[in-house]
Amino acid sequence: MTPRTCLIVDDSRIIRKVARRIVEGLGFEVDEAADGSEALTFCSGVMPEVILLDWSMPVMDGLTFLRRLRTLAGGAGPKVLFCTIETRAERIAEALSAGADDYVMKPFDGEILTSKLAEVGAV
Amino acid sequence: MSPEAFDRLQSLMASRAGFRLTRDRMKLAEHRLGPLARREGYETVEAMLASLWAKPVAALAWAVIEALLNPETWFRRDRPTFDTFAGELLPALSAARGGAPVKVWSAGCSTGQEAWSLAIGALEAGFPVEIVATDLSQRALEKARSGAYTGFEIQRGLKAGTMLTWFDQTEENWIAKPQLRAVAHFARANLLDPPTDDHRFDVIFCRHVLGDMEPARRGQVLDNLERRLVDDGCLFLGVEEVLEGDSIAFRPVAGRPGLFVKSPPALRRAA
Repeated sequence: MTPRTCLIVDDSRIIRKVARRIVEGLGFEVDEAADGSEALTFCSGVMPEVILLDWSMPVMDGLTFLRRLRTLAGGAGPKVLFCTIETRAERIAEALSAGADDYVMKPFDGEILTSKLAEVGAV
Repeated sequence: MSPEAFDRLQSLMASRAGFRLTRDRMKLAEHRLGPLARREGYETVEAMLASLWAKPVAALAWAVIEALLNPETWFRRDRPTFDTFAGELLPALSAARGGAPVKVWSAGCSTGQEAWSLAIGALEAGFPVEIVATDLSQRALEKARSGAYTGFEIQRGLKAGTMLTWFDQTEENWIAKPQLRAVAHFARANLLDPPTDDHRFDVIFCRHVLGDMEPARRGQVLDNLERRLVDDGCLFLGVEEVLEGDSIAFRPVAGRPGLFVKSPPALRRAA
């Protein structure tokens, strides 16, 4: 079976490393991007199955990336989980209505991320 | 903690709560009892226990027991269980009851995530329910009843959309909305105690409770659950939990891990 693929989009190298360790533990093959623009370029080439997405990033933020992603050919496919420090209910609702499949508030751990991925049917 | 002190704790847990405090939990027990000892004004855990053995005060004994129970739980733990409940059992039971609320018992509810998950499942599926959730621990019940969870707790098992629909955000927490609170009630109960009235439930959830109990007490708990369950009702254990000679009161339902119904001998006894 080909391993499932996950793109981690976060401007913090440390967060990317932590998230990578968790999703690799779940059997995903992982790629990284440091902002929305890098992520969009990546997705134009290869569409990942799951995207973990930070909100606030330089160059292009997560919400802008998500809206553009959903207009790309095949861009409806990836399960997108916001993973961000932003925890206000209205911002979470905004992310979901922009097409996010789920939303993870930082801080999170492996159990939370695993349960979220299970709820969206990615594991 | 001395081995003697631990032995006494073990027998306290076994006799009052049926709880199996295994020796590998000695460090954990000390860790859990530390804050209690400080709250109760003792210098050390040893001092608190010495005082308890010298003069067994019920309130302190129960506080010690509560601190040593296993409170681990999360929203929609064993997800297929909740799908079976809301998608299959509720429609059937609700029809059989002529639309009257289906009576549900969350037995060993800890901090309440199971009860709220059941309430959400029922309300989203559009079936009336009355949920009674019980636990041995007053502290766990206080939290359950408050319906307040941290960001860390709320998202363990709940999708963000579900969280936004059923919980209100406050400065610190996410709090169960009034519609949820209207269908769930919390009370203290010891599963070792036999029923003292004839109130019965359509569905009982007693998940991840028996596994922590003394094998010799599991049958007693299951017999008590059987007496609380209507004859055509269902019992849910954890999906990996099995009854190995613990009780003949229930039999597993094929293809539905964790789901049990009354076995014929139990039905005969009830009749």
